Amino acid sequence: MATGNGTLAGKVVIITGGGTGLGKAMALLMAKEGADIVVAARRVNAIEQTAREVKDMGRRALAIPTDVTDSQQVNSMVERTIAEIGGIDILVNNAGIVRGQVPKPLWELSDEEWHLGINTNLSGAFYCCRAVMKHFVDQGHGKIINIASGNGMRGSRGDYMYGTAKAGVINLSRVLAITFAQNNIQVNCIAPGFVDVRHMQPEPPTSEVTRTAKFIPVGRFGVPNDIGHLGLFLASEASDYITGGLFPNDGGGLAGGVTPTGYAPVIEMEED
Amino acid sequence: MGSNEFSLSGKTALVAGDSKYWSKYAGAALAEAGADVAIAARNTKRLEEAAEEVRHQGQKAITIPTDTTDASQVQKMVEQVVAEFGRIDILVNASDLLFARPFLEVSEGEWRRVLDTNLTSAFHCCQAVGKQMIEQKKGRIINLLSGLAERGVENFSAYCVSMGGVLQLTRALDIEWAKHGITVNAIGTGWMSEVEKTGAPQEELLMKYMPLKRYGHPREMGPLLVYLASDTTDFFSGQFLYVDGAVMSHL
Repeated sequence: MATGNGTLAGKVVIITGGGTGLGKAMALLMAKEGADIVVAARRVNAIEQTAREVKDMGRRALAIPTDVTDSQQVNSMVERTIAEIGGIDILVNNAGIVRGQVPKPLWELSDEEWHLGINTNLSGAFYCCRAVMKHFVDQGHGKIINIASGNGMRGSRGDYMYGTAKAGVINLSRVLAITFAQNNIQVNCIAPGFVDVRHMQPEPPTSEVTRTAKFIPVGRFGVPNDIGHLGLFLASEASDYITGGLFPNDGGGLAGGVTPTGYAPVIEMEED
Repeated sequence: MGSNEFSLSGKTALVAGDSKYWSKYAGAALAEAGADVAIAARNTKRLEEAAEEVRHQGQKAITIPTDTTDASQVQKMVEQVVAEFGRIDILVNASDLLFARPFLEVSEGEWRRVLDTNLTSAFHCCQAVGKQMIEQKKGRIINLLSGLAERGVENFSAYCVSMGGVLQLTRALDIEWAKHGITVNAIGTGWMSEVEKTGAPQEELLMKYMPLKRYGHPREMGPLLVYLASDTTDFFSGQFLYVDGAVMSHL
């Protein structure tokens, strides 16, 4: 992938949370493939920086400050995209708090903390899907890529809102895929594993990350483009017959997960 | 599982296949719930131990020395159970030959033996017992597997494939035989041991990784087996359920 041959030439992509990390990596990869990019997130400086880098590549870009937990702001963002860029072909729901929750006993979690976690990671994706879907149906095509997490497929100690919301994102993707399959709209879901968004190239694990990296079969954290290339695939026409799919991208973590890395006994067959 | 809802009183079960634990613990659990139990395997010492457990629960036990990798022996096994018990309500496929070696070093003989023991045995037993269950218009098939039916562990390639094969057999037969009143389910056990594990570095490494920080005891599989074998599960089929101390749930 990332052939530079304009896989997404003429396409308009909205990426939420597109100012940093995975979202920014996907914005730049898709721009490189010819797409015009709308980045929508709360941090104005970050999304404007991404938009500048996209424009430097010769594409159109819009940075629209958006809090995805506010459906009014989401609707305005989509309307502005249509008004100023002229359409939407692909939506990437990437906004979310990566385990932003304060570790505390369950009984001390407030309603507000619960709703914030669910709203940011699940309701925001729903609002964005809802805001683009009529447009997708009317134009007869569209693609949605939802960024979930391995935390939405398995449990992680004390991870109440993030993992639960991401599990919701996974099934929201399936429901939308089934509901709009005959409208030529593809909805797929990526479940990243541990991604180090600070580095664009794989780094040797530092002591701080060694403990976690040890449980990743490939022995390293993911980098943003590991996920970005999958996003690009799902945004391209290569995925036109793929919908309702769940794509873990996790260095092999979910394939195992019943033993730590390094557990590799030799067990002879019992003779009787 | 003393409740009447889950009683297996008046039912007959067949636990077939060689394994370290299941003849004994599956047999004991089914008998405790009220079933008479036939136990078939090659290992005669384990057969006798298992029969002892069944009789200890006050139920009838028969032992049938059988190599379940051999279709003709399986056919005779089924004929003998039907001759003595009259019917087979519950089939437990219990073959579990554990084996682990780096993939490049696995010989063809080892590969075939693991697949024959763990997978082909289930094929033979389901086919031979299935005919009987179709005539009865009812039956319960429960395949005892490992979580490795769905996950990989280094060096366990042949074992993982054999378990995954039986899991898919479970799903395929569930669809094919639903119309005959036969339910087909599988239980995925986690890391099991009859004795408390301590000491060995590989075991310590593994135990630290387990949510409950301990191995399961094979008797902890029993209640789920009884549930799946009971009359309460007519509408419950094609499923793979774990008894694993949450090891399959965590990230």
